[in-house]
Amino acid sequence: MTTKAMAGARIPLPRWTRNLRAKEAIAGYIFLSPWLLGIILFIIGPMMTSGFLSFTRYDVVNPPDFVGLKNFIEIFTKDRLFWPSMMLTFRYALIVVPLSLVGALSAAMLLNQALRGTAWFRTFFFLPHLTPIVASAVLWGWIFNADVGPINHWIRTITGSDNAPGWFRDPDWAMTGLIIMAMWGAIGGNTMLIFLAGLQGVPQELYDAAVVDGAGLWAKFLNVTIPMLTPTIFFNMVLGIIGALKVFAAAFVATQGGPAYATWFYALHIYTRAFQYFEMGYASALAWIFFFVLFVFTYVQFRQSRRWVYYAGEVD
Amino acid sequence: MRDHVSRRSFLQGALAVSAGALAACVAPAAPAEDMGDEGAAMEPVHLRWDTFRGIGSGWNEERIETFTEMHPDVTIELRPLAGSGQQDNYAKMYAAQAAGDLGEIIAFDPSHYHFWRAINKNIIMPIDELVAADGTDLSQWFEHFLGLQYYQGKLYGFPSWGWAGFDTLVTNAVHLEEAGIDLPDPTGNDVSIDTIDEWAHSFYVEGERFGLNISHNEATVVVLCRLFGSSLINEEGTKCLLLDDPKATEAMRWAYKLGVEEQVLPAPGDLENTGGALVAGLLTMNWCGSLCVRNFKNQIEDETVAKAWQILFPLREDGRIPSQLRGGTWNLRTDQDHADVGYQFLLHIAGHDGSLDFNLVARNFAMVRPDVVQSLIDEDPIHEWFIPSLENGIPAHAPANSRGREYTSAVQQWTDLLLDPHQPVEFEKGLQDLHDNIQAVLDEDPA
Repeated sequence: MTTKAMAGARIPLPRWTRNLRAKEAIAGYIFLSPWLLGIILFIIGPMMTSGFLSFTRYDVVNPPDFVGLKNFIEIFTKDRLFWPSMMLTFRYALIVVPLSLVGALSAAMLLNQALRGTAWFRTFFFLPHLTPIVASAVLWGWIFNADVGPINHWIRTITGSDNAPGWFRDPDWAMTGLIIMAMWGAIGGNTMLIFLAGLQGVPQELYDAAVVDGAGLWAKFLNVTIPMLTPTIFFNMVLGIIGALKVFAAAFVATQGGPAYATWFYALHIYTRAFQYFEMGYASALAWIFFFVLFVFTYVQFRQSRRWVYYAGEVD
Repeated sequence: MRDHVSRRSFLQGALAVSAGALAACVAPAAPAEDMGDEGAAMEPVHLRWDTFRGIGSGWNEERIETFTEMHPDVTIELRPLAGSGQQDNYAKMYAAQAAGDLGEIIAFDPSHYHFWRAINKNIIMPIDELVAADGTDLSQWFEHFLGLQYYQGKLYGFPSWGWAGFDTLVTNAVHLEEAGIDLPDPTGNDVSIDTIDEWAHSFYVEGERFGLNISHNEATVVVLCRLFGSSLINEEGTKCLLLDDPKATEAMRWAYKLGVEEQVLPAPGDLENTGGALVAGLLTMNWCGSLCVRNFKNQIEDETVAKAWQILFPLREDGRIPSQLRGGTWNLRTDQDHADVGYQFLLHIAGHDGSLDFNLVARNFAMVRPDVVQSLIDEDPIHEWFIPSLENGIPAHAPANSRGREYTSAVQQWTDLLLDPHQPVEFEKGLQDLHDNIQAVLDEDPA
């Protein structure tokens, strides 16, 4: 037998090795199966059902009635709240995402200092994120209460004027109130934790080298911290945008979409159509449109990320 | 012998398991049972009462207990619905019906616009035959509240709650007395729109007090239009009248003048709690329902600050009181074996004792029976004030397509825009938007 032939030949594995591989594979799939069943039953199943329903008229009580593209045509041509709610939602995300990223990064940098009590501070910063959204909406509803809320009390005390915002009752201020409420939960939440992990992963020798080169704090931040954090920033940004575009609970509890549709976000529009007007087919069509918008938006972000995200371990 | 499980075969297996599990989750269709009631009372009967009304007050339990004492073979299971808002409970009832699990005793209120929708979906059964078999006297309820229970010539339930809507100005009498004004007769209908306008200005003190509050909800806007001799939508529920009837336009122009041009009305955000503002003396007249006077009276702690009074709106040219008679219902679900027993239970909760305690124990506004109103007057004479609107009020008009929630939402949100002094819009533009959006809802397919 030539060397070449020997190299190309497949050497049969001993039987006990094959059995072990099969057992490992089965064990792997068994461990995987709860998640797999979960995603099929609770994600893919409802998605497929929703996709089917989007072409039907379905009021929960009667069987779905196939209507073709009628729901989609009505959404784009007759729905008075479709475009306004879409625009409002993007406006909200445009403000909330950058603010929460900057805020969370700032908080993470502060909490990354080796000071006494840092663990306590990290806990305190994370607490708002643990507060249920309904509880936090009720709390902020009181804080923003136009008459007896502490914020307006301070505004009146400081300015000496009785003119203070109406917050959740005022179309001009309701969105601002929801943004402030979102910031409270976002700055110290998961975003901050991920930034914190990212910061702790920046090699110290890069900072040492920068110091040798005469870099100050700001230069180190711009030339070491930010570039090394770009994967983390990108990750947080993608999740932040998706999360912000899905805004629902706070508006549902605090403002019910008002006043004067000032906080009528897209998810609220879907919910209202589905669970208040019982137009499940129409709401499914709304949801699928939103899915495609989010999909395209996320795809573009990934494409763009190649230009500015730096992965230290990446091989070109 | 294969020595590994391929991803494909595993995924196929998982899919098959999932499909099986999904199929198992599918609720069986509602059983198509005959409404046979032969010997219904002779065998143990179990009924389920799905409701959000009265829950937590003890009223429901008392009704069940007193009924089962009279009918030992009957058990009634109370299944409380506890949505965050009343309207949320209807979704649960529709879902329960789809799953074949809706109780036999239910309520789809006309004033929540679900009554006709539920009938069209074959959820509520007509009770005319049961009425005839029982010989029930239908005159025990006020005619207009019983009238709400009819659809296409058939009777579908008995009245639960009912009142005249936002038919009055709940007034702090202290302010009128301080201004040296004689208190108007609370049932006199003798205060003109011009006088209301004048008082809205004269009792307004910038930064301290509002003379008049006009809410932007459907209940108020309808009566506002009726005050000027029109209504918000036509009786058939197919047409918005705001642009077509000059009187409706005039009504909205009056509110616009007070709220946007003269800015003497509270803007959104100015008064967080109008009931509390009345009690605290921060508001003189609140446009609300006459039954709110009862609550106002009960909340007053210091009569030097606030004293309960009401001003009924002036009569219209047609002699009717600007109001909106609206109410609820108790119904029987279709396809049940013991409808005759369920019917007796409906009578038990909608009869005098049930209805009276529905007011006093369950704290609902249920002025649906003359004998109950009399009992309430015996309890508190202030209830006499509510009689004129009950006797001479105007029934509510509902959207013909049963899209009530879309309708009320459109009215509230677009009236907010029209009457918002912070972001003033031209009256004609704001009214056009309000009209168009209401009409767009009325033009939609039936729900």
